[in-house]
Amino acid sequence: MTAIFKREVRSCFAGMMGWLLTAFLTAASGLYFLANNLGFGLPDFGYYTLYQTSFVLLLYVPVLAMRSLAAERHSRTDQLLLTSPVPVWGIVLGKYFALCAVFALPCLADAAMIFALRALGCTGGALAMNLASLLCYYLMGCAAIAVCLFLSGLTENQVVAALLGFAALLLAFLMPGLRGLLGAGSAMALAVFAVLAAAVSAAAGLRCRSLTVGCALFAVLAAGLSALFLWRSAWLTEAFAAVLEGLCLFAPFEQFVNGSFSAPALVYYLSASGLFLFFAAQGIEKRRWV
Amino acid sequence: MSEPVIRVSRLTRSYAGRPAVRDLSFTVQAGQIYGLLGPNGAGKSTIMNILAGYIAATSGEVTVCGHPLPEEAAAAKACVGYLPETPPLYPEMTVGEYLRFAAALKRVPKAQRAEQAEKAARRTGVADVMPRLIRSLSKGYRQRVGLAQALLGSPQVVILDEPTVGLDPAQVIETRRLIAQLGQKHTVILSSHILSEVQAVCSRVLILSEGRLAAEGDIAALTAGGRSLEDVFLQLTGRGETQKGGEG
Repeated sequence: MTAIFKREVRSCFAGMMGWLLTAFLTAASGLYFLANNLGFGLPDFGYYTLYQTSFVLLLYVPVLAMRSLAAERHSRTDQLLLTSPVPVWGIVLGKYFALCAVFALPCLADAAMIFALRALGCTGGALAMNLASLLCYYLMGCAAIAVCLFLSGLTENQVVAALLGFAALLLAFLMPGLRGLLGAGSAMALAVFAVLAAAVSAAAGLRCRSLTVGCALFAVLAAGLSALFLWRSAWLTEAFAAVLEGLCLFAPFEQFVNGSFSAPALVYYLSASGLFLFFAAQGIEKRRWV
Repeated sequence: MSEPVIRVSRLTRSYAGRPAVRDLSFTVQAGQIYGLLGPNGAGKSTIMNILAGYIAATSGEVTVCGHPLPEEAAAAKACVGYLPETPPLYPEMTVGEYLRFAAALKRVPKAQRAEQAEKAARRTGVADVMPRLIRSLSKGYRQRVGLAQALLGSPQVVILDEPTVGLDPAQVIETRRLIAQLGQKHTVILSSHILSEVQAVCSRVLILSEGRLAAEGDIAALTAGGRSLEDVFLQLTGRGETQKGGEG
């Protein structure tokens, strides 16, 4: 895992990509820091810089992570990794930690800006709040990296991997607004869950190469959903709301921006990272068996 | 006879329901050079990928150096060096960096990595290009770097998938000489559809046809009675696309 970590970090900075991405994110933070925190003398770095620039991660993370697994498949170097005595989770974690280390560089620049504010007279409380915001921002970025790393493992085309990553993060970014539109009632929940059930059934049918299995699974799921809709529609609505809330990757960060320390937000980001790293490892394993 | 280093029993591998290898059983004895012969699509690369642990078998049992796959995958992979058809190289690394990275992947102790990389580079003739970027090397050198990678960690078994494809005649002769030398220290499995190459370097052959084992044995025994290996091959596979003595 350590060897993969070192190689991945080195390869990021062997070309222009690592330097450009670090400069891009640091410049975005620097601009907002200069205009808001220094220009108007505002001590809240979390809101006026990190929160305002969090949309930049929609571009930064997919481009950073697009190469990770897709390029290995494209150049067939995955044969070296997968035939070495390193477990699949070691490969995934090595790559993930390397991307997190690269993302840590602009975050270190952010930390320097926070300490500059302290040197300019901001209080100890504001410093602690800003550092807590930065911690949450970093974990949010790491969770986004895990999502894009998983998506990078689905294709061997880096551009497709970046587009998939961008689409997924854009959906997560817009989800708080979309939630209001989608979460109108149990009929909408039924429709969305029915589409999901169809997708799961189709995947199961394709996996077993059996139309009967796919249709039977869809019939069972559809019957269950219909029963819930008729007799326990509130459960359906609540489950749907919970799913939509879980997709709001950028929302828990707002709790830190509002000045409170939220342990659930940190747990959410760590859980999201763990879940998508698990999916990434399973994706690699699945390819070896199918 | 000693315990075989590789034991394959009733191996089947399917891609999307279509079998590439069917009900295959064979053993590989230590200290010999095996040729895996077969026309294109016969399942040679699939078998090599399974033996190297890159893909899993759909059914059947595979044991490498006494370790069943996939249950003891890490231990089995540790005793195999694998050169796939396309050498798995990182163009942005130097040869030295790449070999040290591959040594780390193969769990070579840190103190021995540089020494082993140097040794493998000397054996394969790439010691003079150690500081050069892989992207600047010729195809022949890249192939040798891939071969050096396969030798790191002193694996008991070395698996080479079409190692002379795309090389010029001089490089082909040099690679064959190198493979013959490897046979003195390792068990080598070499896939090729070039009969002259197999005849030149291998002591035993496994002939595949449409994913099944058509014949197995000593080349001398198979070609007894004045028959050429080409005649044997064509008779067993019923195909004429194999090159007779071609150099890649």
